[in-house]
Amino acid sequence: MRLELRDITKQFPGVLANDKISISADRGKVLGLLGENGAGKTTLMNILSGLYKPDSGQIFIDGEERVFGDPVAAIQAGVGMVHQHFMLVPVFDVVEAVALGAETVTGPLGTFDRAAARKRIVELSEQYKLDVEPDAKIENLPVGVRQRVEILKALYRQSDILVLDEPSAVLTPYETEELFAIIRMLAATGTTVIFITHKLNEVLEVADDIVVLRRGRVAGMADPKTATRQQLANLMVGRDVELIVPKGPAKPGDLVLHVENLQVRDDRLEMAVKGVDLDVRAGEIVVIAGVQGNGQTELVEALTGLRPVDSGEISIGGQRTEKFNPRHVSDLGVAHIPEDRGRDGLINEMTIAENYILDSYHKAPYSKNGIFNLKAVREQAAKGVKDFDIRTPSIDTFAGSLSGGNQQKVVVAREFSVPVQLVIAAQPTRGLDVGSIEYIHRRLIEQRDAGAAILIVSTELDEVLAVGDRIAVMFDGKIVGILAGDDATYENLGLLMGGASFGGGVAA
Amino acid sequence: MKRVTSLLRRSAIPILSVVTGLLFGAVVIALTDFDSLSLITTDPARALFWVETIDGNTVFSGAIGGVVNAYGALLAGAFGDPGRIVTAFQTGNPTDIARAIRPITETLVSTMPLIFTGLGVAISFRAGMFNIGGGGQLMLGALGATITAIALAGKVPAPVILVVAIGASALAGGFWGLIPGFLKARTGAHEVITTIMLNLIGSLVVFFALRNEFLRKAGGTAPVSKNLTPIVDVPNIIDLPGLRLDYGFVVALLMAVAVSWLLFRTTKGFELRAAGFNLTAARYAGMSAGGSMMVAMTLSGALAGLGGGFMVIGTVGQLTPDLSGNIGFTAIALALLAGLRPSGVVIAALLFGALTQGGKLMGVQSGIPFELLSFIMALVIMFVAAPDLVRGMWRIKTKVPKETDPTPASKAATPV
Amino acid sequence: MTATSVAAPLAGTGLAARRALRAARIRGIAFVLLSLAALYFASGSFDTPAKFSAWIHEQGGEAAVLETRVGVLWIVAAGASAVIAILQFIRGATFPWRRWLLVVLAPWIVALLADLLAGKPAILTNVIAGSFEQATPIAMAAMAGILSERSGMFNIALEGKMLIGAFTAAVASSLVFIATGNPLLATLVGIAMAMVVGGLTGLLLAWLGIRHRVNQIIAGTVINIGALGITSFIFLRVLQHNTQYNAPPSVKPFSLPFLSDLPVIGPILFSAKPYVYVGYILVIVLTYMIYRTRWGLRLRASGEKPAAAGTVGINVLRIRYRALILAGLISGLAGSYLSLAAGGSFQMDMTAGKGYIGLAAVIFGSWHPIGAFLAALVFGFADTTQSLLNVLGVGVAPQILASVPYVVTIVVVAGVVGRVRGPAAAGQPYEQG
Repeated sequence: MRLELRDITKQFPGVLANDKISISADRGKVLGLLGENGAGKTTLMNILSGLYKPDSGQIFIDGEERVFGDPVAAIQAGVGMVHQHFMLVPVFDVVEAVALGAETVTGPLGTFDRAAARKRIVELSEQYKLDVEPDAKIENLPVGVRQRVEILKALYRQSDILVLDEPSAVLTPYETEELFAIIRMLAATGTTVIFITHKLNEVLEVADDIVVLRRGRVAGMADPKTATRQQLANLMVGRDVELIVPKGPAKPGDLVLHVENLQVRDDRLEMAVKGVDLDVRAGEIVVIAGVQGNGQTELVEALTGLRPVDSGEISIGGQRTEKFNPRHVSDLGVAHIPEDRGRDGLINEMTIAENYILDSYHKAPYSKNGIFNLKAVREQAAKGVKDFDIRTPSIDTFAGSLSGGNQQKVVVAREFSVPVQLVIAAQPTRGLDVGSIEYIHRRLIEQRDAGAAILIVSTELDEVLAVGDRIAVMFDGKIVGILAGDDATYENLGLLMGGASFGGGVAA
Repeated sequence: MKRVTSLLRRSAIPILSVVTGLLFGAVVIALTDFDSLSLITTDPARALFWVETIDGNTVFSGAIGGVVNAYGALLAGAFGDPGRIVTAFQTGNPTDIARAIRPITETLVSTMPLIFTGLGVAISFRAGMFNIGGGGQLMLGALGATITAIALAGKVPAPVILVVAIGASALAGGFWGLIPGFLKARTGAHEVITTIMLNLIGSLVVFFALRNEFLRKAGGTAPVSKNLTPIVDVPNIIDLPGLRLDYGFVVALLMAVAVSWLLFRTTKGFELRAAGFNLTAARYAGMSAGGSMMVAMTLSGALAGLGGGFMVIGTVGQLTPDLSGNIGFTAIALALLAGLRPSGVVIAALLFGALTQGGKLMGVQSGIPFELLSFIMALVIMFVAAPDLVRGMWRIKTKVPKETDPTPASKAATPV
Repeated sequence: MTATSVAAPLAGTGLAARRALRAARIRGIAFVLLSLAALYFASGSFDTPAKFSAWIHEQGGEAAVLETRVGVLWIVAAGASAVIAILQFIRGATFPWRRWLLVVLAPWIVALLADLLAGKPAILTNVIAGSFEQATPIAMAAMAGILSERSGMFNIALEGKMLIGAFTAAVASSLVFIATGNPLLATLVGIAMAMVVGGLTGLLLAWLGIRHRVNQIIAGTVINIGALGITSFIFLRVLQHNTQYNAPPSVKPFSLPFLSDLPVIGPILFSAKPYVYVGYILVIVLTYMIYRTRWGLRLRASGEKPAAAGTVGINVLRIRYRALILAGLISGLAGSYLSLAAGGSFQMDMTAGKGYIGLAAVIFGSWHPIGAFLAALVFGFADTTQSLLNVLGVGVAPQILASVPYVVTIVVVAGVVGRVRGPAAAGQPYEQG
């Protein structure tokens, strides 16, 4: 089916998320929709899937205008959506998760006809080579399979237009390749695919046409056969961007973080970190690369004292810390920039000043004998706001009302407000625009050059390659290889992230 | 000026909530006046509102007249008769003065435990803990003070007993609060369930304790304790016959200041508020999540316990199984009404103290059961929690400021 | 659709793991202690006879008798506890101890009962049938709780809704009885009215929680306080002086044909008040509805991951409204039991915590109707034992016995967290785009 969006406009309080966006995609083609965070991609797709109503603009399917008041209308019109965050009920099995909302029923009580649904799911799974076990529980499936279940959901509803929102964020490079194969097969059978991403390589590889969005508008179109990465990057950001942040060579000094045979369990008590060895020296940046969910989160939580260590050894600055609590670890001069700053790094209902002292409130000059010196708090917070260029009306503004980039600056300002010997940053730039990403990277490199040891966890290969002096790849709870930053490429990292082990890939 | 308007705007919803609650209460009073309403077809005036003068007194009758009588009695019960107060002071007769101002002092007497318990609720809610157990904590505090006072009677001087008994009430109440705090911190047991259960257990514990000859009033099997006033008594503020307002009320006011200082000027208070807003962020910042829960619940219980302690060795003078009445739930209502601000708790406690005191006279004079207040209180909580209801009813168009939820507990919801 | 929740997950990163490991250790030690305690009790009670009997066909007829020594029962309890302790230590935090708990609980309860009776014979038929009676309102409240929590709404208002149900049933039934003199009609109208009013209260709860986004615990508290206030108020103002409005015909036991003739089981299970049978049916129907039908699938999705349901076009809010109304209907029914079948009239605060215990049964039974029913049965058993021991004059203070269900509830709530998960989204508001 041919899909056309014409002059779609959507205003949110304070943000014009979509400003007269027009795009079209032909039957059997893959349209790549490229844009950085906040460009309006997801809003546009939520309009297409009936979750939002546009303020103005029209949607045409095969030339016929459609108005989507709710998701049902969009589904009936043949639009299937694979959300970035999977919309699957974790405790359901595949049959239930796929059929939900499109169940066939029998009997007077509306009994769910599971057998019929199962049969159809098995058929579809075979037809499109999705290889999904129909009776498996969603929460026990690897993310790659969950994504195929999402695709099954769309196919089950006979969608002719499939929208994929940042589908590769949680996939290994190998799984991404598999996904691309499925996309090509779907396109070949006549499905129109819209592929939303911020990753340049991926649109170049899979799309038939590329539309670049910037700040809610169409910034330009490109032909993947002729476009280059640099052109697309410039279009996406709106200025010439340097894809590599300038950074001098590392001057590794004393050993700061030493991890030996570390084992950590996740919340379901299964082993998530399965014997990790890792060293980080002063003056170097070590990046842990890997696909989300391979134990990085648990590793960082163990290092920062948030999660109990099952066995193994952690030393920071020569001191054994595996039994330390977060306060003790932080008192050693360890800065921690958490993965989900909105949930873990900031208290949205507290002011910037309060957030600025969140982990050092108990120390001078902020307090003495448990009683605050409010003057000192305000002075220091004001200084932090100035030094880190945090855009806010005042230090009494609630942290929750800041933009993502400024929130992250509050976290970074706080963590760097005291002398640090080790920085642990998990996904420090996730969800930020290019300007903020550059800023955060510069600050991290500054800390390195000032002699701190830096450990970054990242799933973004671009980030890994841009800042890492050494790169450790984590897969299935283990470090499967450590590369020097200069030796790392998309290809060898991709192989390692998929679990391939190098002969020489041992701990440095 | 700006501060005044902002204060007005902030208190508009609470005030209207109370007014609306009372209006609904009036409707209930009128609708349950079957005797009057049965006349509606024959004599609508007598059924609804009828004024007549009997022996020089103005008498209201009818369903609406009944409301006037009830709320009139409520007001008189809470504040007394202004004319009589003026006359009493003019004559200067101490007995007359005492009688005239007694309703006001009794209102303050009812207010005292409400301030303590309301402050306790405010602390725990601020820390993200839904402490429904104020009533049980108050009972345990009262029990602690009673046991201490009787055990020490005659052995040490009264002032020492006073101090020790008050300390015991805080300890016992604090312990009763610590239990749910500890269980939540260690096992994740939901505090709503555990505090409700501890309320029920608390009153059984008091019943059980009052079976004992050591505590029970001699000569009878009624579960009431010996009279504590001869052993120890908190000094009265006004030394007039028949008045029982004592320095417990002053301590309650001081506690409000102390709680305010604790919450906003100390690192412990900072930890409690942080944990209440966002437990994970508090843990990431190196605070002990379980510690905050336990501290908040212990303080909360200790405050409620103090309220009970000051009742048994001061205003009430005796431990009875129904001592807490509905103070536990009233405290929740007034803490929410106060937006969890200690100063607001004092004001709201005064209001509810007046309602409680007035409600007693209402029961005696106009036969309207005191239990009506529970219903009104539920409505007040509802209106405070759903301000758009009140706005809609009173057609207030305010620019809604950015929602800053004063009830951090509401965010830390986990399955019960 | 915007962000669905700002809740701070209490079992956040790492905490859950820490707690689960600690809880596993504590459980292991607890089982060891249970075993040792049972051994200790056994040592002193080999001389005491234990005698249980059950009627085979009817009350007072032929009886089946089991006779042994109390000490023997304790040894069995000690053995069972020891086995579970060993399993718990070997398997650690992943040990499905709840399933095994019955193996410990059953012999313990029997031994404890025999010990307390100290040689006096007990008629099991009455104890067990009494447990079913006592369990019925708790189980019904639990079914209401399961419905609401499965849809993603907390329901601490069960207590208040039951109270209103009890009140309405008593008054409506009395009025109809005065008007018609037909006890069956009076009872049916009483129950129907209790359910309607309960349903309306459920609607109020849903409206506050969904439409006005009132925190669901606060909304529940509003209903609990309000229900207590208004029913007590009307009781004192109206019913006390007009006792004829509070004198409903009481519901009598009814023996089911054929089934009540089954030996031993018949007198226990099928000669009860009709409420008990309604309870059985409710449990079975709900189990089927929740796990086998489209409605159940969507209900569970709303409670587990509302966004997943919303994105496929399911109206999550409508599901939640309906679930709460249905829960209200059932709570009203549960309340009507108290005033029509158990008490004979309405009394102030006559629920006395039964709604809260129903909530505990929901958790104890891990949000499954059958599990919750079994949990309610345990609580009902505690109630019945209490009155049995009272009647037999066993020297335990009534306050201690009365507090047993509450203490058990606390232990249950504190003990089960870790391996048992409620609906993931319960209590979180959901914004529909």
